[in-house]
Amino acid sequence: MTRLLATACALALGLTAANAQTVRFWYHFDNPENPMQGLVDKFEAANPGIEIEAENIPWNSYYDQLYTALVGGGAPDAAMVKLFAQPRLVEMGALEPIGDRIDAWDGKANLLDNLLELNAGPDGQRYYLPIQYVVLYLYYRPDLFQAAGLEPPKTCEDLRAAAKTLTTGDTYGFGFRGGKGGWDQWGAFALASGAELAPGRLATPGAIAGTQMIVDMFREDKSIPPSAPNDGFQEIIGAFKSGKTAMTIHHIGSSNDLVAALGDKVSAVPVPSCGGGQWTSYGDESLAIFAGAEDKDAAWKWISFLAEPENNNEFVKATNQLPVTKSGSENWTGHEKRFVDATLASLPFAHVLPQTSATANFVNTEWQTQMQLALTGEISAEEMLENLEAPFE
Amino acid sequence: MSIADAEALDAPRPRARGRRALPYWLLTPAVLVTLLIVFAPMLLAIGTSFFELVLFRPKATHFIGLGNFVALMSDPVFWSSLWRTVLWIGLTVPAQMLLGLVAALILNQQFFWRGLARALVIIPWALPSVVIALMWRWIYDPNIGVANDLLLRLSIIQTAVPWLADPGVALYSIIVTLTWQGFPFFAVMILAALQGIPKSQYEAAAIDGASAWRQFRHVTLPGIAPVLATAGLLRVIWVANSIDVIFVMTGGGPGYATHTLPLYAFVKARQNLDFGYGSAIAVAFTLLLGVFVAIYIARTMREVER
Repeated sequence: MTRLLATACALALGLTAANAQTVRFWYHFDNPENPMQGLVDKFEAANPGIEIEAENIPWNSYYDQLYTALVGGGAPDAAMVKLFAQPRLVEMGALEPIGDRIDAWDGKANLLDNLLELNAGPDGQRYYLPIQYVVLYLYYRPDLFQAAGLEPPKTCEDLRAAAKTLTTGDTYGFGFRGGKGGWDQWGAFALASGAELAPGRLATPGAIAGTQMIVDMFREDKSIPPSAPNDGFQEIIGAFKSGKTAMTIHHIGSSNDLVAALGDKVSAVPVPSCGGGQWTSYGDESLAIFAGAEDKDAAWKWISFLAEPENNNEFVKATNQLPVTKSGSENWTGHEKRFVDATLASLPFAHVLPQTSATANFVNTEWQTQMQLALTGEISAEEMLENLEAPFE
Repeated sequence: MSIADAEALDAPRPRARGRRALPYWLLTPAVLVTLLIVFAPMLLAIGTSFFELVLFRPKATHFIGLGNFVALMSDPVFWSSLWRTVLWIGLTVPAQMLLGLVAALILNQQFFWRGLARALVIIPWALPSVVIALMWRWIYDPNIGVANDLLLRLSIIQTAVPWLADPGVALYSIIVTLTWQGFPFFAVMILAALQGIPKSQYEAAAIDGASAWRQFRHVTLPGIAPVLATAGLLRVIWVANSIDVIFVMTGGGPGYATHTLPLYAFVKARQNLDFGYGSAIAVAFTLLLGVFVAIYIARTMREVER
């Protein structure tokens, strides 16, 4: 009898599962307060017949897992994706164009200006629906600057001099991220003079000077902590929070955490100009549907749901980034105003890396290896840039 | 007539055949699993190493014969990684063995909390590698790590050393970590061997007037030699292939300072998605390690026959 009941139950479950469309969704939140289940419940209540299987994938191996799953099987139907991965995903034929769906979508007019242009695919098609954004700027300690009679740096030279002055005893002037993901800090120094990740356009005098400055700050001025070659996000933010460093470069995502630790003793300004120009990294995050998705309509319903103002604001609260909708951005209270201001002031010179397939390796492994070799004096700044330029040819 | 012949005459033939087949039946699951999860991927990796296969360029995949291996020969990172792998194995395994031997000799003495000590010594071995790697990253941290703090207090160093960020010391720092992780294995194996040495041999040596050192040299060492050799070989193979601790502690950096060959293969295949080249590195390394595996197999065979 029990067995019969169990079989009946299993059968009934199987039938419901067969009726409901399942959308498998991958995302990466490192915030323990994860609002995803709330969003899923809200969506499923509004869209009976669609089930969302949302899986939180650890960030460190997110793309390794995604590429492998796309080729080897088990890929999701939709996922959170960044721009640097787009050319590679397009080359793999893994993405579903969603331009027509975006055009027909009510929420399109409510997206912030320029975001769709920044996110356009390398072949002119649209694959990405923006979901959040940040821009890198310079965090500094106003109290330490005031005590030393310094102003927040406007140029590279200012920054180097300030870092040197602020380096005393246990405190270092500037927290540089030499480990994975530090390319966006380096870009502010090396790419500001107009250099680009392109053949013959990277190993330029301006970029060499900018890179050399970081190496000199590390090796000669010693205004960058000795652990810099291995330092990642945790280390640079940890060091700034504990007062170990007086400046570092990151985005609004860490501002709440820093304010909780330092209160008024942390503020932000746009990154300094180097070699006559200013460059900062536009940190993007979008949603995409994969070409192999079973029910693309259901997947689109889910990702466009996440880009609607109310849901989008809920989503970005977990990642500490900024909402992509106009109505959601008005009166945004998720961050202190001074950091939102620094972000907006940085937007005019915010860039993304070129959309070529070599960019993914640059971001994932190449930059950090070459930067570490330069920081530890095994190669020169010029050699580093030549090595980084080679794969783009 | 021997007993076996008598049995063969007594038993009906089909049953004898069934009994003869029994070992094969019992071995089949293990063999099947090994074929499926070890040999099949191995053959696949050998096959892949002859291809230009970059995961995100599926259309450009083509057979290039020994092309990857030729490229390997002129890849400076391959050679420097090979040298670091030699250092990695050559320093870690003897260090683990020595520490394990000392620990086993101490644990073989009589003292009142010996049982507890024997249990505690297993801890580094029982901890997951990732936990160990993260723990030691904190220990080595140049700003807040206890390693620097202790050495500074003892005036052994004058300024904090960035243990994992300095290419000159990063590899050795990880070797220390792995030595700490792996010595309990030797300690336990050697301790078991020590307890198998008959007391009478020591008594006889003592009557002959042998000093403690001569007892160790002529009774203890020969008694544990087979275990040292087998455990050592096994450990060479494990340490050679272990990348988890390096990967978590430095990711192979700074620069290439802590790249060993298996790690290089992993980075190439899994992070750069160049599976052809990554497989070629792995296959080349397997061939080199094959020598040790052959010695190990020859040894076990000899033990079995004995």
